[in-house]
Amino acid sequence: MSDNRLETVLGELDACAIAPYVTAGDGGLDRTLAVLEALERAGAACCELGVPFSDPIADGPVLQAAAQRSLEAGTTFEGVLEVVRRFRAGGGTMPICAFSYANPILRRGWSGAARALADAGADGVLVPDLPVEEGEPLRTAALEAGLAPIFFVTPTTSDARVRRAAEASRGFLYVIGRTGITGARTELSQEADDFLAHVRGLSPVPLGVGFGIGSAEQVAAVARHARLAIVGTALVQHLHEAAMGAPDPDAAAAGAALTFVRALLEGTRVG
Amino acid sequence: MTETSLAFQAPTRFGAYGGAFAPETLMAALFELERAWLEARADDGFRAELAGLLRDFAGRATPLFHARRLSDELGCEVWLKREDLLHTGAHKLNNTLGQALLAQRMGKHRILAETGAGQHGVATAAACALLGLECRVYMGAVDAARQAPNLQRMRLLGAEIALVEHGQATLKDAINEAMRDWVGEPDTTHYLLGSALGPHPFPSIVADFQRVIGEEAREQILAQAGGLPDVAAACVGGGSNAIGLFRGFVDDEEVELVGVEAGGEDVENDRHAARFASGEPGVLHGSLTYLLQDADGQVLPTHSVSAGLDYPAVGPEHAALRDAGRARYTYAKDSEALEGFQLLARLEGILPALESSHAVGWLSSEREALAKKRVLINLSGRGDKDLETVERVLGGEA
Repeated sequence: MSDNRLETVLGELDACAIAPYVTAGDGGLDRTLAVLEALERAGAACCELGVPFSDPIADGPVLQAAAQRSLEAGTTFEGVLEVVRRFRAGGGTMPICAFSYANPILRRGWSGAARALADAGADGVLVPDLPVEEGEPLRTAALEAGLAPIFFVTPTTSDARVRRAAEASRGFLYVIGRTGITGARTELSQEADDFLAHVRGLSPVPLGVGFGIGSAEQVAAVARHARLAIVGTALVQHLHEAAMGAPDPDAAAAGAALTFVRALLEGTRVG
Repeated sequence: MTETSLAFQAPTRFGAYGGAFAPETLMAALFELERAWLEARADDGFRAELAGLLRDFAGRATPLFHARRLSDELGCEVWLKREDLLHTGAHKLNNTLGQALLAQRMGKHRILAETGAGQHGVATAAACALLGLECRVYMGAVDAARQAPNLQRMRLLGAEIALVEHGQATLKDAINEAMRDWVGEPDTTHYLLGSALGPHPFPSIVADFQRVIGEEAREQILAQAGGLPDVAAACVGGGSNAIGLFRGFVDDEEVELVGVEAGGEDVENDRHAARFASGEPGVLHGSLTYLLQDADGQVLPTHSVSAGLDYPAVGPEHAALRDAGRARYTYAKDSEALEGFQLLARLEGILPALESSHAVGWLSSEREALAKKRVLINLSGRGDKDLETVERVLGGEA
């Protein structure tokens, strides 16, 4: 893999940054484009762009519903590629990582999908149902296409597998917390903090941390160990609610994305 | 952080199929489960405990029955492996007793299960009651409506029922919810998957606990019929009863193995669950296998009169057996399954499950090709749960 926008951006960060997740096509692809542009203006370091799937077994009700809305609006893999192309054509420079379950990618073939994503202007790929044991074909295809493959670790991942996932990843390693932050607490539990510190010690790539983060205080709590605070569920729900009933729902969602991410950035300054 | 489980020890694939396409959150639980299973199957104490429960609680061995009037009607020699006589009414208990003992061995007190027809839910609830485990069963709302008696059985056996309203509200959606629950609490919970699908090691574990069907049937047919069958057939949803039967005969090359999928209303109009007829390899619920999906990799809706076969993917071992040419897969439509149901009811005094009726319906539809042959059918379950559906479809004339 030669120059990669995600690796470059992460390499230049000197503090924790915000990585929003949005479901592509939730509210239609025009809205997704408007939201991506707003996220870049707001100062997001990169974006995870969710490819909707009919059976998202690792997602909670909010992201399931977003995927369902997106599929009902007619979103296809080609449509997701098209929105990335339009974002780049409009001058967008924020790195974009495609976040997709295995089957929509496998359907095109690992190599075909990786090339299509890279050609459209995506920079990384994350597959929540692809552990390192199954990930080699996609990893190879992604590297050949110039996409950063990103794997996941959790508090139950053994040290040997953390190392393996980290060494297989480019850009960042996605750290999932199950029992990290709850509610509006401003401190990580000691256990979660220890876990992040431990993973950080094992990983040659920086950490992106998804702990159910939705507030600046929560961002601040992970900022000590993470290069990226990943914000998914709270943002997707917020955008959906902001668009509902608004006279111009796409503009409303874009406006909500801008203010939401700017507010979270306060947390990175605290950290 | 534990270092106990670093990698899978057993093969995770059947040919090109299977694997463990699971969220990272579940991987440690899958490693732990595989290790517990490999240790248990090598442990005489475990094997004796399971064999004792299968005999004294479940009622094994189940009989092999020569269906003489059906044989006369169809012009072939039909033998029925009577899994419908197993306690709780289907083959499912073979697997739930085995996995519930494994859960105990792993120190997990909370059991999750999915159910389509309700047979796996009932068998899980019974095993949990027997062993003092907490039990939560996910069931699609559409399936719950068409399998009401099993809902009552599960509740009376102490299980908590979680109805799943989204998606198609059938088996696939119940598995989605059970997996999400497990993702949230993998340390204290065992997901007792009921069919030979899902991520490794489930397809291997379920087949291992169900192979008793084929092993018994092989001994019985040798003793009672004086030889092997020409054909061994079973219905295939996820494929646990079929793989249980096939495991007993897979090394007997002269025995043709036939899996009968749900042809639904018609395979031409997409209202079916015949994965091998129009599916292509894809990943669902942790396994790479034949899957009914659209051009974009989204999973397609399915249809079958039988809730237990109404599922868009097939167990990966079946995909491998098919590609290797060792087993043949065909389908029976709803109407053919109902014909099979009526044939067994009127000629043999047996009310079969609508799932199992597909195998009988297929036999009837292929009677000419099967003339004079010795055919073994796995009668995987009994039909009490289906009476309302059968009466409705047949307009009260059954």
